[in-house]
Amino acid sequence: MKVTGTGSRSMMFAHGFGCDQQMWDAVAPSFEQDFRVILFDYVGAGRSDLSAYDSSKYSSLNGYADDVVEIGRTLGFHGAVFVGHSVSAMIGALASLKAPEMFSELVMVGPSARYLDDDSYHGGFSRAQIDELLEFLAENHLGWSAAMGPAIMGNPDRPELGERLTSSFCHTDPKIAREFARVTFLSDNRDDLPAIKARTLVLQCREDIIAPSTVGEYVHSRIPGSTYVLLDATGHCPNLSAPEEVTAAIRAFV
Amino acid sequence: MSDTFPTEDLSDLYEQAPCGYISLSPDTRIVKANRTLANWLGLTASELLGRSFLDVLSFGGRIAYETHLAPLLRLQGFVDEIALDLIHADGSKIPVIANATEKRDEAGKHHFTRFTLLKAVDRLGYERGLRASLTKVEAAFAAEQDAAILREQFIAVLGHDLRNPLAAITAGVQMLQAREQLSERGDLILREMLASGKRASALIDNVLDFARNRLGNGFEITCDSREPLQPVLEQVVAEMRTIAPDRVFDIALSIEDPVYCDRVKIGQLVGNLLSNAVTHGDPEAPIRLTADTLGDRLSISVANGGAPIDAATQDQLFQPFFRGTVRSSQNGLGLGLFIVSEIAKAHEGSIGLVSNESETRFTFLMPLTRDA
Repeated sequence: MKVTGTGSRSMMFAHGFGCDQQMWDAVAPSFEQDFRVILFDYVGAGRSDLSAYDSSKYSSLNGYADDVVEIGRTLGFHGAVFVGHSVSAMIGALASLKAPEMFSELVMVGPSARYLDDDSYHGGFSRAQIDELLEFLAENHLGWSAAMGPAIMGNPDRPELGERLTSSFCHTDPKIAREFARVTFLSDNRDDLPAIKARTLVLQCREDIIAPSTVGEYVHSRIPGSTYVLLDATGHCPNLSAPEEVTAAIRAFV
Repeated sequence: MSDTFPTEDLSDLYEQAPCGYISLSPDTRIVKANRTLANWLGLTASELLGRSFLDVLSFGGRIAYETHLAPLLRLQGFVDEIALDLIHADGSKIPVIANATEKRDEAGKHHFTRFTLLKAVDRLGYERGLRASLTKVEAAFAAEQDAAILREQFIAVLGHDLRNPLAAITAGVQMLQAREQLSERGDLILREMLASGKRASALIDNVLDFARNRLGNGFEITCDSREPLQPVLEQVVAEMRTIAPDRVFDIALSIEDPVYCDRVKIGQLVGNLLSNAVTHGDPEAPIRLTADTLGDRLSISVANGGAPIDAATQDQLFQPFFRGTVRSSQNGLGLGLFIVSEIAKAHEGSIGLVSNESETRFTFLMPLTRDA
């Protein structure tokens, strides 16, 4: 966990499935003047303590939300801002329901309350497609976890990356990543949305196959009083592909 | 005949390279692709232009692209050796291995993402097979481990349950000996029954210790120095005399002060050593037991005569279930010396062996400074 910044209010950035806190490198620093900025890795990602992983605790998003609440309690959050990318948007929503005083604002970047298609609901995923994703992870994580760290040198154009790269990039434990994928893509938080009391901002990208705009609009429509912003960005990771857009949208909201 | 070779044509090399080339705009649109790749996909290069690269990936690859590959490319500038499935125009999958780099200008602005793709149908099929067999082997191994634990639990429970009926039989024999008028022959039979009962009881103790050890409970000892050790050893010798009445035992015990140890286990250690001496030693030669507390250590040794133990056998003697090649009839399970060495270790002591033409001697040494 990393705490920087000088503000009196806290702003917590939470990464989604697939990477770690470095997802926020292009966004978080610009809030350090006005906020106490908190970055962290979920258990199993980045440089977290792998021995803290427990399959049963993390068999639903609640386990991850409990960790967010625990961090919030430790750091004395009151009326803080939670910024969650992807699945973390729902983890933040659950955390805000568990500890209502903790977060007065939620920023959801590419949220989805339900990835699987249902009778009348279009989430964008079928069960078979999720199995295909798990298969992909099985095929690729072997190489990634071993090859990630070393061999990464000579980045003359971005020297600041060099050192961090050797300490592994978006490194996720293969077994935990598979379980996290399953928990993420089989989660269903649609009924939690109307209960959210925090002011909520939904940031949506164009052509996001993981959280299509119909899904973002659905999340917006079910959270009372939420704000919806369609970013000028494509894909699922605007925090990387369009960090200025994301920063401006968050700044305007908080 | 001419010796001139045609020069390499770079655009032809690009188009017909033995690998697929594809370049994407930052929003994953295909801006250039070579003919090799287009052919793999059953399309023309112009049909590919403008489409999203994600359209020609399997669904798993698409999700992984967004969640893993895109962040890695952005943060690190490249990814290597990624296994992907391309989707042919007819819907079939083409397994490939991909490397990718981001082309950035001097200001760091991202212009293209370039992919090199190698067809890897056989290789990935082989890897998938390997992974499947690994999963199978892991499952079989886990099942085997469960079965082994179950077997050891079974041994532990069986050993434990055998103790009570055996104790009842031994008590019955002792009552007959004490209270009944018996013929000489009847008396002899009872003495042999009693000796066999004690031998069976010692075997059960060894098996139980072994099973507990294997079940991960460790070799448990309970030490104190509340009572003297010597009478325990005298009792073991007395029992051994009933088991082997024809043998000569040469006993020299001088343990005056109480020793901080597990007396029952030390008794078991001595019993196992004596029992081995009876089984394997020369029946004509005496069995010598000496025990003393010289200096800061307890020393107990058991010696017998007979043929020396060869070096190869000595190396394996303390392994569980090891049975010497000499006379198989009376060997038991081969746990005796394994238990002896475990008892010695638990007391932070050691077992030494000297075996030559004159004698075979096992010596147990343990420090006396552990009094608590």
